Amino acid sequence: MSVRRVAAVAGRIASQFRRDHRSLGLLVAAPILIMSLIGALWGSVDPASVRVVIAGDGATPPAAALTASLSRAAGLSVRSAGLDAAVASLRDGSADAVVVLAGSPRVIVEGSDPTRTSGTLTALTRALAAALGPATPAPPVEYLYGGPSASLLDSLAPGLIAYFGFFFMFLLAAVSFLRERTSGTLERLLASPLTRGELVAGYLAGFTLFALLQAVILIVFTIAVLGVSYRGGIGAIFVVAAGVATIAVALGLLVSAYARNELQAVQFIPLVILPQGFLSGLLVPVDRLPDLLRPLAGAMPLTYAIEALRAVMVKGYPLGDGLVLRDLAIMAAFGVAALVGAALSIRREVA
Amino acid sequence: MPAMPSPAIQARGVTKTFGRVRALAGLDLDVARGEIVGLLGPNGSGKMTFIRTLAGLIRPESGSIEVLGRSPSRAVADGQVGYMTQAAALYGELTVEENLRFFAALNGVRAAGPRIADALATVDLADRRTSPVNTLSGGMRSRVSLAAALLHAPSVLLLDEPTVGVDPVQRREFWNHFRSLAAAGTTILVSSHVMDEASRCDRLGLIRDGAIVAEGSAARLVERAGAADLESAFLILAEASR
Repeated sequence: MSVRRVAAVAGRIASQFRRDHRSLGLLVAAPILIMSLIGALWGSVDPASVRVVIAGDGATPPAAALTASLSRAAGLSVRSAGLDAAVASLRDGSADAVVVLAGSPRVIVEGSDPTRTSGTLTALTRALAAALGPATPAPPVEYLYGGPSASLLDSLAPGLIAYFGFFFMFLLAAVSFLRERTSGTLERLLASPLTRGELVAGYLAGFTLFALLQAVILIVFTIAVLGVSYRGGIGAIFVVAAGVATIAVALGLLVSAYARNELQAVQFIPLVILPQGFLSGLLVPVDRLPDLLRPLAGAMPLTYAIEALRAVMVKGYPLGDGLVLRDLAIMAAFGVAALVGAALSIRREVA
Repeated sequence: MPAMPSPAIQARGVTKTFGRVRALAGLDLDVARGEIVGLLGPNGSGKMTFIRTLAGLIRPESGSIEVLGRSPSRAVADGQVGYMTQAAALYGELTVEENLRFFAALNGVRAAGPRIADALATVDLADRRTSPVNTLSGGMRSRVSLAAALLHAPSVLLLDEPTVGVDPVQRREFWNHFRSLAAAGTTILVSSHVMDEASRCDRLGLIRDGAIVAEGSAARLVERAGAADLESAFLILAEASR
């Protein structure tokens, strides 16, 4: 082995890399970005208080006593409301548990996220046992969605379907459009009657075909092979998954305008894909994010995709539900913006 | 007196700067319909920029440029321009025929089958119709690329070094075909380094630092430079313009 030749190869790599300022910057910036996200997410764990609603007549002595006693328990924030209002706040996520005081007390939890459910139940049953005394049996627990047997996978599956669908379609679209640029065929296309809008629309249509196929396979696999239980209509699940893939293609096209080669296209993964994995509600519910990061989650298309897919798969909402429709509309807005951006970015490159 | 038809290509004082590089510095050129004009010039002289401007890919900063009496991008949108890029610019995974079908569709060619067969016969690749482009030699790819530029029978053909990697026999065939296209009224602008190719053009424009510094038939340029052949004339005229 010749040291000189090894040194020549190493030296060449160093000088090439030195000129690629973006790769060099990312080498340092990307891990710092990701580490600070992780730090902000899990480092400053703020023991979120469990929000309990007491449903019952607050004036009757047992309810008033219970409310007062629970309010004193650490980690609980307690208010009271009527039964319907209490269940509604479980549904919209503004409460974690409802204690119903009609007859013998019972507990209702939201249930779609097993991690959160078990945290809620642990804190609440401890406080209830202290309040009601050791002689009273633990009140029965009802689940709005899922149930005691719901596994972590059941709640993770919708997020993972959305995330991986997004990841692969994004990468595929970005790299293939980049190849169009580097191989010179883009030049040829632009010197033909084909307009930039037609080009982007064609790409979207071509990739959507594969995106739909991918969505079908992902969904069938999670349900049939992994045994994930789902409540919603399979058609609704499919529509949301297809929407995710479409946004991913549009975003991939947009991003490819800002990369000169495949390496630089791949570098968008830590910038575009990974932060969405942390912040879009896949790992940590969006409402439990630190205040600083929550606005970021709002600016990410996957946040809405995961919320919609969870609503459809875990909670069984129909496509026409207000929440699902809102998420789909926001996703469509992201998609249109990315497509327009992609069409404009082609102009920027050539003219 | 009958009105003169407008020239196929008319460039007046065209300028374009990339950062600090002045790629076109007031370029003037007229090309009549049915004429074959060669652009000769050293690397970086602005040939490529000028051709890309004619293909509607670059907007000049000042000056005017018309292709068939309209803006280049309009002429391109009307399907009047055929552009053969220097690199073959084809889809390697697709077969020759699939590539040609795609470019025919982009240019709005109806009943592409016979046209593709014609174009392939012209470039002598009928037997490689079903070969993936990846499996072809560089010269064969150039020929497919030319076929792609011919499919829609454009009125103006822009050829950027069309015979790089093409063997002499095939090059002669190319030029026979260019001649017959020009006779039928197609205007052809060729950029080239190859002197043999340049001498076949009706007229040559010697381009240097973004402007035409000498113009005329090959014979006239040789005579003007007092040189023995076109190659020496090219060197003398390029040197004189410094």
